[in-house]
Amino acid sequence: MTFLIQQTLLYAVPLMIVALAGVFAERSGIINLALEGIMIFGAFIGVLFVHSMQNLEVFTTAAREGDWLTLQGLELLAMVVAAIMGAVFSLLLSFASINLRADQTIGGTALNLMAPALVLFLIRVLVNQNTLQMQTGDAASWFMIKKSTFGVKKSVDWGFFGETFLNKIYIATYICIIIFIVLAIILYKTRFGLRLRSCGENPQAADSLGINVYKMRYIGTTISGALAGMGGFVYSLTTANCTANGDVAGFGFLALAVMIFGNWKPLNIAGASLLFGLFKCIAAAYSSIDINGDGVYWLAQIGISSHLYRMLPYLVTLVVLAFTSKKSRAPKAEGIPYDKGSR
Amino acid sequence: MKKILAFLLAALMVVGLFAGCAPANNDETTEAPDSTTAPQGGDETTEPPAPSADDIPDEMTSSDGKYQIAFVTDVGQLKDKSFNQGTYDGVKLYAAEAGKSYKYYQPAGGNEATDDDRYDAMKLAADNGAEVVVCAGFMQEKALAKAAEEFPDVKFVFIDGWAMGRTNVAGINFQEEQCGYLAGYAAVKEGYTKLGFSGGGGGTNAACNRYGYGFVQGADAAAKELGVKVEMNYSWLYGSSFSASNELQTMAAGWYQTGTEVIFACGGAMFQSISAAASAEDGAVIGVDVDQSFESPTVITSAMKGIGEAAMQALKAAETEESWNAFIGDGTTSITLGAKDNAVGLPTATWSLEGWSVEEYEAMLADIVAGKITIDGADVPEPESTDNVTVNIIK
Repeated sequence: MTFLIQQTLLYAVPLMIVALAGVFAERSGIINLALEGIMIFGAFIGVLFVHSMQNLEVFTTAAREGDWLTLQGLELLAMVVAAIMGAVFSLLLSFASINLRADQTIGGTALNLMAPALVLFLIRVLVNQNTLQMQTGDAASWFMIKKSTFGVKKSVDWGFFGETFLNKIYIATYICIIIFIVLAIILYKTRFGLRLRSCGENPQAADSLGINVYKMRYIGTTISGALAGMGGFVYSLTTANCTANGDVAGFGFLALAVMIFGNWKPLNIAGASLLFGLFKCIAAAYSSIDINGDGVYWLAQIGISSHLYRMLPYLVTLVVLAFTSKKSRAPKAEGIPYDKGSR
Repeated sequence: MKKILAFLLAALMVVGLFAGCAPANNDETTEAPDSTTAPQGGDETTEPPAPSADDIPDEMTSSDGKYQIAFVTDVGQLKDKSFNQGTYDGVKLYAAEAGKSYKYYQPAGGNEATDDDRYDAMKLAADNGAEVVVCAGFMQEKALAKAAEEFPDVKFVFIDGWAMGRTNVAGINFQEEQCGYLAGYAAVKEGYTKLGFSGGGGGTNAACNRYGYGFVQGADAAAKELGVKVEMNYSWLYGSSFSASNELQTMAAGWYQTGTEVIFACGGAMFQSISAAASAEDGAVIGVDVDQSFESPTVITSAMKGIGEAAMQALKAAETEESWNAFIGDGTTSITLGAKDNAVGLPTATWSLEGWSVEEYEAMLADIVAGKITIDGADVPEPESTDNVTVNIIK
């Protein structure tokens, strides 16, 4: 059970934060199809940051002497850098779709096409290979918080809660959850959130009340870019051993699906990404999942073909969408470039 | 005003993109002189006794634009710290020693490279003046057959391959079952009773199949000797492209969670995913093809084969027609390298096992060479359980 929860979180958290990125853009009226591209770019920037900072003496000493606080600092810094560069990258989309009033779908697709190419090109230039890796060590030994991080023996039992949520975790997971909650509150409970949402529903009305629609849309997509960039790095840190290769296994597109699946609402999105993460984890590790801790791996024993397990995440998405899509409602003005004159 | 601002912003972003590349470009221009001097200096100047392949640049610029020795990679990247890199290290070492120019070619299409992509890479190599083309990986067969026919004057070395009945193709393969056997034996001797095998190629790669089958046999031998029961998870999942993936990492983490103590990561960059899981779950890993203990502290040993040495031998043989003919014979028999050729084994220089000493290992290796221990080298993708080893094939 502990294993299942931990692995589910590893898959769900990047999805969740990137789906929220989609929400911020779409709630402000811009379809951010470029989530995948921004994630790829963010992952690259974050890994590049770690890769180039690792040689600094302060971090090599910290890794050698087990000074985990410094290493967590490096992880957080990398997240911040990835977020900033993700935001910068998303400005390309904002500029095209807000100032130039270009088709947002095409703009997003262009970024999706550009990001992997650009990233691969840069990786080749930088390290002359197809994958950018950490210079020394791996993600788990540098950044994962384990019992041994605190000098506690492996045999000490921390109980269910401690074993699941305090042992073998990445701080990034929790940071993302906190950011998710804070931003969800901002979106629904603050004046700024209301204004942002109004720009995605009826920008003409919002403008007539003195809200700068262009500004709000810029803010929405920039937050979106920052979240997606950070999500990309978190993805590569927790599930890809802190490597970047111009690919995030389609998580950006999955996040788009999760966003629609979650009906553009944060709570539903959290639920949807957990569901998806759970099935993704079952698909990859069904043979070693022991649900009630009695040593029986019944998922492997009931004799269902493993291909079915691997289809499950997508099957479940299809089924749930079939039942919920009737009620699903996108922000009304999304995708329509705002033109002051067409009031 | 707004338009100017917008323009400036766009300009800034474009400049920003190029600024990102700038320092890297500088690196490359400063590196270039090194790469031209390194291979030529190898002849007379005093070199350290054993030059490390890592010191020789991957790319060099030849003065006449021709590259005498070409290397065409298998799927996966050049710097996979395993098969491709190990072979290329041999190519580089030979080229540096002989003062020849060299270049590597990665077939287009990455992991989905087609026979045409591979052929194009070989043709490009031949057009660039290659005298010898080293091709790594059994998947190159079709492209190699085509290229070898089209360029009869170019010599091809087919690593992990087989003879093709042509006098310009040297097919070299290895007795992977022997080092797989040694690795399995070592793991059980070390006290591990729950093993894992995660192989690449989806069960169609003969080399990986031999590694895995040997691994099971070795574990069985040690288990019989110690009178213990061994369980082994055996999987070809998520390995078809020999690359790292989050699914593979989750699967490996699941194995470690449920008691697996050591996993034999048998497939190039798959090592990344497995060692990441091992590092998170405090497990152990057995590396493949080359000594991978430098990659991660989780590596207890590596099942090595002398891919680099084989490439060097073949390249040396290719220097003159006589030695080449002696090397490949009539071109219908593959060159199989094993323990007797000192081409497979475990790394003794970085030995970290405590339950089994280097002396005992060397004695066993000698027994294998002498034929006292026979290891079945059949191409068996799904080995059956034995009396002492329960093989749990995960599909």
